[in-house]
Amino acid sequence: MTTISETPRRVSGVVGQAVPNVEREAKTSGSSIYAGDVELPGLLHARILRSTHPHARIRNIDLSRLAGMPGVIGVVTAQDLPDRMYIHHGGPLSDRGVLASDVVRFVGEEIVGVAAETPAAADQALSCIVVDYEVLPSAVSVSEALGPEAPLIHSGGNVPVRHARRWGSVPAEQEAAVTVSGTYLFGRQTHACMETNTVTASWSSATGMLDVWISTQSPYLVRKELAHVLDLDVHHIRVHEVAVGGGFGSKSKISEYEAIACALSMKTGRPVRLALTREEEFTTAKCRHSFEINLETSATAEGMLVRRDASMTVDNGAYNHSGPSVMAYAGQVLGSLYRIPAVNVDAELVYTNKQPGGQFRGYGGPQAIFALESQMDEVADQLGIDRVDLRILNANLAGDTTLTGWRIDSARLVECLETARSAIGWQGRGAKAPEGRGIGFAASIHVSGANIYEGADKSSATVEVDTDGRVLLRFGAADAGTWQNTVVAQFVAHELGIEPDDVQLITMETDATPTELGSWSSRGTYMSGHSVGQTARDVAEELRLHGAAMLESPVDEVWLHAGVVTNGVTSVGFGVVVQERLGGSLVRTREITLTNVDQVNRETGISNLSGAYSFAVHAVEVSVDEGTGKVKVERYVAVHDSGQIVNPIAARSQVIGGVAMGIGYALSEELLYEGGMSMTRSYIQYPLPRAADLPEIEVIFVEGDDPNGPYGAKAIGEIVLIPPGAAIANAVADATGVRMRELPLTPDRVLAALHQRDRKPKRNYRIGQRPSRWQIAVMRAWYPRGLHQFLHKFGTRWGRPAQRAELLAVETPVDEAAASAALARPGARVIAGGTDLLPARRQGLVQPSVLVDIMTIPTVGRIEQSGSDVAVGAAVTLADLAIWSQDQLSVLHEAITAIATEQIRLMATVGGNLCQQNRCWFLRNDFMCYKRGGVSCPCYAVTGDHRYYHSVIDSHRCQSVTPSDLSTVLSALDATVEISGGDRKRSMKVVDFYTGPGEVRLGRGEYLRSVVIETDKFSGHDYRKLNRGHGDFAMISAAVSVATDMNGTVTDARVILGAMAPVPYRVHDAERLMVGRTVNAIDVAAAAEAWCRRAHPLERNEWKVQAGAELLQRSIAAALARTQSGGKP
Amino acid sequence: MKINGTHDDPVGIRADTRLLDYLRDQQGLRGTKEACGRGECGACTVLIDGRPVLSCITLAVRVDGDVETIEGVTAESAELRRQFAEHGAFQCGFCTPGQIVRGVALLRQGLPADDNALRAAISGNVCRCTGYSGIVSALRAAEENIAMADSGENS
Ligand code: FES
Ligand code: FES
Repeated sequence: MTTISETPRRVSGVVGQAVPNVEREAKTSGSSIYAGDVELPGLLHARILRSTHPHARIRNIDLSRLAGMPGVIGVVTAQDLPDRMYIHHGGPLSDRGVLASDVVRFVGEEIVGVAAETPAAADQALSCIVVDYEVLPSAVSVSEALGPEAPLIHSGGNVPVRHARRWGSVPAEQEAAVTVSGTYLFGRQTHACMETNTVTASWSSATGMLDVWISTQSPYLVRKELAHVLDLDVHHIRVHEVAVGGGFGSKSKISEYEAIACALSMKTGRPVRLALTREEEFTTAKCRHSFEINLETSATAEGMLVRRDASMTVDNGAYNHSGPSVMAYAGQVLGSLYRIPAVNVDAELVYTNKQPGGQFRGYGGPQAIFALESQMDEVADQLGIDRVDLRILNANLAGDTTLTGWRIDSARLVECLETARSAIGWQGRGAKAPEGRGIGFAASIHVSGANIYEGADKSSATVEVDTDGRVLLRFGAADAGTWQNTVVAQFVAHELGIEPDDVQLITMETDATPTELGSWSSRGTYMSGHSVGQTARDVAEELRLHGAAMLESPVDEVWLHAGVVTNGVTSVGFGVVVQERLGGSLVRTREITLTNVDQVNRETGISNLSGAYSFAVHAVEVSVDEGTGKVKVERYVAVHDSGQIVNPIAARSQVIGGVAMGIGYALSEELLYEGGMSMTRSYIQYPLPRAADLPEIEVIFVEGDDPNGPYGAKAIGEIVLIPPGAAIANAVADATGVRMRELPLTPDRVLAALHQRDRKPKRNYRIGQRPSRWQIAVMRAWYPRGLHQFLHKFGTRWGRPAQRAELLAVETPVDEAAASAALARPGARVIAGGTDLLPARRQGLVQPSVLVDIMTIPTVGRIEQSGSDVAVGAAVTLADLAIWSQDQLSVLHEAITAIATEQIRLMATVGGNLCQQNRCWFLRNDFMCYKRGGVSCPCYAVTGDHRYYHSVIDSHRCQSVTPSDLSTVLSALDATVEISGGDRKRSMKVVDFYTGPGEVRLGRGEYLRSVVIETDKFSGHDYRKLNRGHGDFAMISAAVSVATDMNGTVTDARVILGAMAPVPYRVHDAERLMVGRTVNAIDVAAAAEAWCRRAHPLERNEWKVQAGAELLQRSIAAALARTQSGGKP
Repeated sequence: MKINGTHDDPVGIRADTRLLDYLRDQQGLRGTKEACGRGECGACTVLIDGRPVLSCITLAVRVDGDVETIEGVTAESAELRRQFAEHGAFQCGFCTPGQIVRGVALLRQGLPADDNALRAAISGNVCRCTGYSGIVSALRAAEENIAMADSGENS
């Protein structure tokens, strides 16, 4: 072991250069082997039976029906495992076992593992296991968990950690001239790595060795946990190298499913693969903790910070994991950014019966910075000091030690602030910004590896050179996408004068690499720069020494270049040196220990946690649509002080990717639950940014050495997503004057805040005048008063979901008559694009035994035009209709290109879009709701989260809507559907085709054959849609068609609202105010508002009425304008 | 059907077998990835008769045509793949086969001129790592270089 004696400086060489990823060939050709690609003979597939209750005692697990089931090979329960808890934070904080034995504490907790010959057989096995639960009272929110009646989630109480930090004191002469305070709420974000958590495990009883291929950031930490819970010696577990499909912190410790696969392999003696489904990933993987932070910041009249007082409550979920240290770190961030004499932080971590929180890129930083940096703007505004100037005034400087003991050796925060200000073009508050636009800033500080575990201040590497001159690096960390492998190859190449591509790598292999804790806490580049750099220098030294001797030159006159030792005249290859002078092998291993860091101090929270601290300032320009509440990021500049940049390609990609993730939690990403059950189990329900949702992101590195950083470098990986939340909230405040204190900034929240700003009176919904609504209003009123609980508890027992059925065949009828005949059989269903049907089958909503493929019938796959009429076959894809309509009927083109994504449109069909089931996220996510289970079951949307996808008008027991965007626009075009059913054919208007949310008038044996549109019926059209992100379903859509006569009088109109009612809602009220009047005489605002008094919104979706009226007003105005500009837009 | 140019007559596959599983498990073509299994992310994109298809929501028995997977387009995509590395268009690489296959389809028909349209065109492919800028610029650079190489050959 050595301690660092010298810090390598950057010299010319491959460190600092734009080196393309060394694994580019494999990674871009699909040949990289991920954990789910590992093939072993006899491989079994595992699945996990999980709790369906947020809190329950397990009375009994009945496995008897598994006996003799074909293909089911092994089962494990807690009884099969040693009675151990995961180590996690250790001591009393360890609170979770591998499988629940006695009590389950969240929906999704692991109870039984099953291994079978196929995934389908394993699924089948799960459905045959009966768990007898005694349901316990649950606390699914922090307030419930802290309430007087709160059930005990763990025996020690619901607050496992509480601390009060008192750092510094306010000097007498510093008098606070201004104090701002507020409560900041931060939602739960999930990593959503593209590769779901996957392990392949193989036990050999002959050798007593367990081989594992795990998607992880930290092979050594996972091995340690596995050894502990399985009661094995660590040396009997070998972790192997695989490609890792994203980590973002989630895989920096054990992920609590790996041991189940290992146990199954040990029990069956066969290799086992366990790959979580996307739904499991969303509902059970540890997520970013939600925080509530009450913060108060004071400053002097000159703008010097005086003190900060915080109290934080952290929703821990059901188990501790990283909760204690995430909370501690968030407090330290509050105590570290900017020079400040006194900071107090009171914090409590609260168990709830939800999926646990865990470590996530940023580690409490985003939550703390959201509060801290929001208040910096408020302080600046109240003092009349420029927002950037205030930050410059208080900026951390090199040589500072923060109240939390962080010793800051290099800090370019001031440069970052100045650079960001000029890059975004900030002119100060008074400067005139375009309507609805605003600019915001936020700064951040972050560690380069935190010394929070034993050994976290150490790193080791081995470098070898063989007799052929080949250079090999053994390094125990994993590259989960950070380009770590490229960076370490650069360090070796830099020292040995070779190309990074010429460095062979062995990583992750615990049997073939020296101990290394892995890539987390932004330690990858920083720690490996020290260890790999130092080891490579040792090897270089040897080569030079012996090479010089062979060349008969003084050592200081030779150097390494392209695999040889040279003096500029003669040279000798590395291999020859190794062969002739080093006995055929040159191997050097070094373990380095940082000398400039302290052990973490869990009592005071004061310690120099890290070898170096990075800084960042992000500047963002947003637009806020004050009519709909939609916030859009227009421009983004990220300025970073990460010391010297080792690889600009990798660093830039890290920044942009991190900003995207930050924009995600700022605007749209949030895990949501009802009664502890998740409604966000897919990429659609959890809208993370897609390419079209993001602007180009400008990245600027303010480079310079860190005196202790390897090659002058500091970390980059996590700090990239810490500022976005605060920067965007500050920009929204700049644009609107409204301070938003809850993330994400969803349209409903923004609109509510704007209404408060404008003191808009509440709308009056006159349901009193509509007797048909009384009954619904009464029912809704009873829901929170016990009706919901009653139906949920008892009614669902009578629920009758679709019976599971095996899909036996796909029929391909040759004509329409054959299709009708096939469809008349029980269990038959039409399939066209399959984009909804197959997911709906997976969700248990439909269970067809026979699919009738109408794509093969030529007559339903055509677009037929005769004169101005067009008949669009049901099997025409949306993409093809988009192409046809581009020139023929552009409103249809606009509507279609706003549906889903282009990939879906290439597959999805017109008929499928019109007939799709509703998208209610309770229905789609296993809730035994009215629609799924029948009349005895509750509609979970009445009291659950119904802000986006539920009805505001006309709903009955089910609050959902018809999701089809085509239904909205085709209703506005007054199109007709043609229905085929054997010899019968019938037709009706699209607007009449619907009977309820996603329910259509099709009888047995019938199917939608085509849609007929009279293209010249109207002369002005418009369509618009509000959704949560690119590809998402509408929260609101509006479509308007208008026909006028020669005099400009409106002769006919269709005004339709989509996603607002159970069926496409024809706004007769508006049409009446339009028809018979000349275009200029129409009161557009009145027409757009006319329906609102009939609305009957739920408690939290009233905003849709406001935004719907606004969208409709724009749409009517645009359609009318187009009639005047000569019709076709 | 044909898979990467080779005729294949799947016999005895179950009606509910997804094309994705058929390719990965029965053909051993593991470059095609599953990330969501419900048509929302593009990781499983393959081409059928040149058209991008999400193999996780496609039943294998319904496939009738030329299937091209990432393995079948590696040569054609050499320049695009090179640009992916130059532009930081991948990090973990898990979405990358899908992005490349999607990119091949786009390059064959010519990229949309407008960057917003290009971003929309690749929005069916989720990438959690890169923030997409690198993917957009890699596509542009690849198209430019391919065009330059072509005109070089023709002159
Ligand atoms: S895996 Fe097929 S679209 Fe996501
Ligand atoms: S590179 Fe990791 S998801 Fe795209």
